[in-house]
Amino acid sequence: MKGHERETISTDTAPLKSPVVMSVALHLLIVGIALAGWSWTSPISEPEPRTISARLVSPEPRPSPVVDEQDQRDREQERRQQQERERQQQEAERRRQQEEQARREAERQAQEQARQREEERKRQEAQARERAEQQAREQEAARQKAEAEAKERERQRAEEERKRQEEAKRKAEEEKRRQEERRRQEEAERKRQEEAARQEAERKRQEAERRLREQQLEALADESRREREAEARRQQEAAAARAREAQMLSESEKYQALIRERLSQAWYPPSSATEDMTARVQITLLPTGELVNARLVSSSGNTAFDNSALGAVRSLSRYPIPSDRDTFERYFRQFTIEFNPQRLR
Amino acid sequence: MNAHDSYRQGFPFTTALAALVVLMLLASQARAELLIRITEGADSAIPIAVVPFAESGAMPAGDKVSSIVQSDLTMSGEFRPLEPSRMLSLPSQRSEVYFRDWRLLGQRYVLVGQLTRSGDRIEARYELFDVNREERILGETAGASASNVRTLAHHISDRVYEAITGDPGVFSTKLAYVTVTGDGDNARYRLHVSDVDGKRSRIRLESREPILSPAWSPDGKQLAYVSFETGKPVVFVHELASGNRKKVADFPGLNSAPAWSPDGKSMLLTLSKDGNAEIYRLDIASGNLTRMTNHWAIDTEGAWDHTGRGIYFTSDRSGGPQIYHMDRAGAEPRRITFGSRYNARPRPDAKGEYVYYVHQRERAFHIARTNLKNGEESVITRTESDESPSVSPNGRLLIYATQQNGTGVLTVVSANGGAAYSLPASDGDVREPAWGPIVR
Repeated sequence: MKGHERETISTDTAPLKSPVVMSVALHLLIVGIALAGWSWTSPISEPEPRTISARLVSPEPRPSPVVDEQDQRDREQERRQQQERERQQQEAERRRQQEEQARREAERQAQEQARQREEERKRQEAQARERAEQQAREQEAARQKAEAEAKERERQRAEEERKRQEEAKRKAEEEKRRQEERRRQEEAERKRQEEAARQEAERKRQEAERRLREQQLEALADESRREREAEARRQQEAAAARAREAQMLSESEKYQALIRERLSQAWYPPSSATEDMTARVQITLLPTGELVNARLVSSSGNTAFDNSALGAVRSLSRYPIPSDRDTFERYFRQFTIEFNPQRLR
Repeated sequence: MNAHDSYRQGFPFTTALAALVVLMLLASQARAELLIRITEGADSAIPIAVVPFAESGAMPAGDKVSSIVQSDLTMSGEFRPLEPSRMLSLPSQRSEVYFRDWRLLGQRYVLVGQLTRSGDRIEARYELFDVNREERILGETAGASASNVRTLAHHISDRVYEAITGDPGVFSTKLAYVTVTGDGDNARYRLHVSDVDGKRSRIRLESREPILSPAWSPDGKQLAYVSFETGKPVVFVHELASGNRKKVADFPGLNSAPAWSPDGKSMLLTLSKDGNAEIYRLDIASGNLTRMTNHWAIDTEGAWDHTGRGIYFTSDRSGGPQIYHMDRAGAEPRRITFGSRYNARPRPDAKGEYVYYVHQRERAFHIARTNLKNGEESVITRTESDESPSVSPNGRLLIYATQQNGTGVLTVVSANGGAAYSLPASDGDVREPAWGPIVR
């Protein structure tokens, strides 16, 4: 189709061809004239400087005054004037030779100019003839070209008609083919959608199944994780409880030792005491370490011994107890002191 | 613990935790509570404040009742009475006692009292308080004639001592001892009986010849001793109240070392009537003799053990004097002492815990004792020419004779070798102490 359009355009530009040829010819003509003009004028300008210089160095010889009365000076002047005269004569001779040369030159130039004018006239006549011939040839070419163009246009019209019919047929076929294609595509699309829907349903079903399975697994995992965490927490708590227990125990042992020391210093086992005597006193303390109550829970069987134990227990104004409240509550809120001499005096 | 686990599994976690805490608390309640064992007591004596008694009526000159009590308790070695000048107040009855004050002074006991003169008698109302327990542990009245203030004071000391220690006091008991003055023809031997603090000494017998080995009858009314007044050793029994005396052993040879049996019906004697010194048991009422030992070596210085059946005695059957024990007459003696070459004059305590004796170590003579339970021997005196140990009836004190600046003196020490208390000097050498029984 594009090729066809290009053809059309070239047909339209054909008439422009002859003006271009003409323009080229015209330009060639102008260039030729310019060149001729230039070669024609340059010989004229050349002699001008020579004429001018001739005018500058042609002073007229003037008569010199005669001075006789002076001798030496006059002789000198005479001699200088003589020299001057000789020089002027030489000068005049040289000027005359120059003028003769100039006159011969001018004659030669005049002959040359006449010859050139004759050549120019012949050249212009030849040019005019050639222009007339050229014009006739161009007219003949234009006529032939117009005929060819008319034929060409007719041929193109026929060709276009044929192409148009072919195009219409092709388009109808094309349309039919397209419709067929569309129908096929629609069918395929329908099938594809149906398949997609089926697959989607299947996918959803599987997804649902997977989700269900995953949820079940997650639930199981969650449960076991919770159990593990709970177990870990239990173990941690148990460990912490044990650590706390150990800490409280060691703390309590420190204060047990302090209490033991204080009570040992405060206890005066009576002389009647024997090593097999044992008295137990249960005491209750305030968190300040003050004694709330002391109770003989196991008698030694010896009143003095029991009293010495009770006296010792009550003699401490304040029991050394841990500042940690838990340890206090655990061990020292209420505890038992056993008095059993192992090393009697 | 198993209970915890089952609970924990059955309950949701937080519930289980709460249950665990509760159970732990319960367990800690249920578990045996903390037990602190005290196996040693203070090394020092018990601080006690004997407050000077309030007086109404004229009091006899001489030592005050409270200062005698104070001195008695000090002598026991078990008490450390507070100087009255350091007391913050001088209460004489319960309403005036501020326990806090006494606690601040570190006192464990406070004795307060009032003396009232009525006619020839002096009556004491006294109360003993446990400062820490803030309890009155003794509250009594006792009386004595104005001339026997010391008797009253010793009685109070005994009551205080017993209330605190659980052991009977021995401050009312008597001592018997012998003094010697002069030498040669001028020598005078005197048998004394005094209070345990050496006061109120009275001469019971005076002789130009030696008097040895006084021994108290269990009722404290009679003394047996060896007297050379007849030129040879003869055992006499002397009734203190009447001053009557009689010979109980005047056999050929040696008659010595009398020792009353706990029931007072018989005594052990060392006799050499059969050749060498052997120990016999004399039935006082009948005068019958029973031979207790039979050995070629010397057996002497018999003493009844606390059972009243067995005896301790000294024998050199091993080559040197050692202490032996025999369960009953004729039984095989068991050697008690091994620690040195010389151990003699055994004196067992009334509880059967220790036996005391003269013990030679290096060239010095000390009083030592052996623990009869474990055989452990310990030297309890620091003096060096010690002899004649005699144990107080409560087993807490020991009196013995020793040399001080070349003169014989008596010293009382705690039976465990603690505090020592020298009895006031009397004229001349003092020797052969015998601690009398507690007389009820």
